[in-house]
Amino acid sequence: MVGATLSRWSMSYFAVALACLLAGEALMVVGFGFPSAELRAPDSLVLVHLIAIGWLSLLMFGALFQFVPVLVAKPIYSNTLPLPTLALLVVGLTILVGGFLQLGGRIPALHSCFSPAAVLLGCGFALALWNLGRTLWQARPLPLAARFVTVGLLCAAATATLGFVFALVLDGSASGPPLADIATYGIPVHAIAGLSGWLTFTAIGVSYRLLAMFMLAPESETPRSRAVLYYGTAALAVAIVGGTVAIGMGGHPTAFLLVAGLLGTCALSLYGADILHLYRARKRRKIELNARMAAIALANLAGVAVLSVVLVAASQFEDQIGAIVFLAAFGWLTGLGLAKLYKIVAFLTWLECFGPVLGTTATPRVQDLVVEPRAAKWFWIYFAGVWSATACLLLDAPEVFRASAVLMLGGTTGIAVEVARTRLLLDVRPELRIPHLARRPALLASQ
Amino acid sequence: MTDFVEVDVRPTLRAGGEPFGEIMAAVNALTPGQCLRLYATFKPTPLLHVLGSKGFAHDAKELDGGDWEVVFTPADLRETTTAPTGATDDEQWPSPVRSLDNRDLDPPEPMVRILAAVETMQPGEVLSALLCREPVFLFPMLAKRGHVWRGAFEPDGITYKVLVRAGRQEGP
Repeated sequence: MVGATLSRWSMSYFAVALACLLAGEALMVVGFGFPSAELRAPDSLVLVHLIAIGWLSLLMFGALFQFVPVLVAKPIYSNTLPLPTLALLVVGLTILVGGFLQLGGRIPALHSCFSPAAVLLGCGFALALWNLGRTLWQARPLPLAARFVTVGLLCAAATATLGFVFALVLDGSASGPPLADIATYGIPVHAIAGLSGWLTFTAIGVSYRLLAMFMLAPESETPRSRAVLYYGTAALAVAIVGGTVAIGMGGHPTAFLLVAGLLGTCALSLYGADILHLYRARKRRKIELNARMAAIALANLAGVAVLSVVLVAASQFEDQIGAIVFLAAFGWLTGLGLAKLYKIVAFLTWLECFGPVLGTTATPRVQDLVVEPRAAKWFWIYFAGVWSATACLLLDAPEVFRASAVLMLGGTTGIAVEVARTRLLLDVRPELRIPHLARRPALLASQ
Repeated sequence: MTDFVEVDVRPTLRAGGEPFGEIMAAVNALTPGQCLRLYATFKPTPLLHVLGSKGFAHDAKELDGGDWEVVFTPADLRETTTAPTGATDDEQWPSPVRSLDNRDLDPPEPMVRILAAVETMQPGEVLSALLCREPVFLFPMLAKRGHVWRGAFEPDGITYKVLVRAGRQEGP
């Protein structure tokens, strides 16, 4: 088959991802983990991995299984592998969370969970990367957006490998200077590889294509967009490769992280200029909710960069790293993820239900599957919660933070309900449903 | 040992000429087992698609000085065969009976209009449409409905032109 078809299991990825996001926000509401506990406390690590793997990584994999074929105009290598991959990732994450609960003394530690979690998550990431990597490999030479994704996937491999080492050291399966040193000093490298490399760099690549597509903006590859790729890749290579080598040789990665920070700031500035150009040069003047909310998420990314520079200048960066990571994870990545999920689910559902009869009879438009004013309200509640919670972290007000987390949880619940209603065609006017022709989609799988 | 036929169209291009006929003549003259090595002054993106639809894989690399070398490998020489990007027949298609300019439409409206237009056409008739990107979701639908297509980016590298020939009905 030529071109792109529906990714069979992406909806399952999205559903599990949303469940993890809601669970993580509920934990913040009840005061479990950061900021009530230290950022590196076991409870906080439960929260961090629930969001980083359960929500953001599953969302990203679900989206990539669908959109890498669109980026490269080639079919996915395997439309079957994503299901066992999902099972490995979900079971691995559950056991990893168990390991952190053991570490915090919340559940008994009869057998350490870390090694089995490392093996399962390692296999899950390897399968996902193999499937996407084979798809990209057969499409060389790659267009720009796909090259961003390729670098992002390499960073996912680095993140997972470092996590694998940490897990083996934590339960005593591995010891000795290089591995133990990496487990002790490599956490910033692990976090940068995951948050900046895997999640942010991949999101940047996909955003070039999706924003241009949905706003009718020019999509050509420019020297500036190539510079974003080169500076960003250099920054990630310095941070991840340089940082890991420095630790392995008994040193400290700080110098490498500083250089990477400078290169990364250059890349983000150029990306910001590209995005402003995309929004200004768009042919479509009235843009949809997903593009408006993506703009808020992009503004939050700019906020992360500005806040980082200000805190470095004020010598407060290390003290406030939690606030920066929070704004990056929830203001930028989660904001963009929710905005694009809202559109992607509507588009894929429309294609699945009405694609077979397109052109032969009147069908609803994609926008007939959603009610934007209702969803907009939930997005604003969510973002208000994120901004308020970030301010609480900067001002060290953990109790007000929990109230802000209530707003985030409420907003996310509202968006999740809207997405489920879209998937079940509940908002399509009855006269447009053409039940004799179109099939009702399954909630969690596509045909 | 793979046998290469070399075609250097840089002199033709620098003289302001059109090398397409020269290239296609060389492609048609390839014997089984032969690859084509092409030299051009720019990356010939439209040609990659045209020869891709004939089952050729390509490997393009930029040379010093900004020129490009592209090696086209026919399907019979590849370890794994990939599906062609559309019609593989060499026969001449009739002129389009309908032309659509869908470049300023929101996705997925370009796809909807093409499918609706093809439904009204007689088997064998051809539709021409201009788009602002490769319509990756359209192709499987055309295939499922028995239509064939030829598509490639125009020389501007931005406009994608697709020709769709309505499916022939069963029988002679």
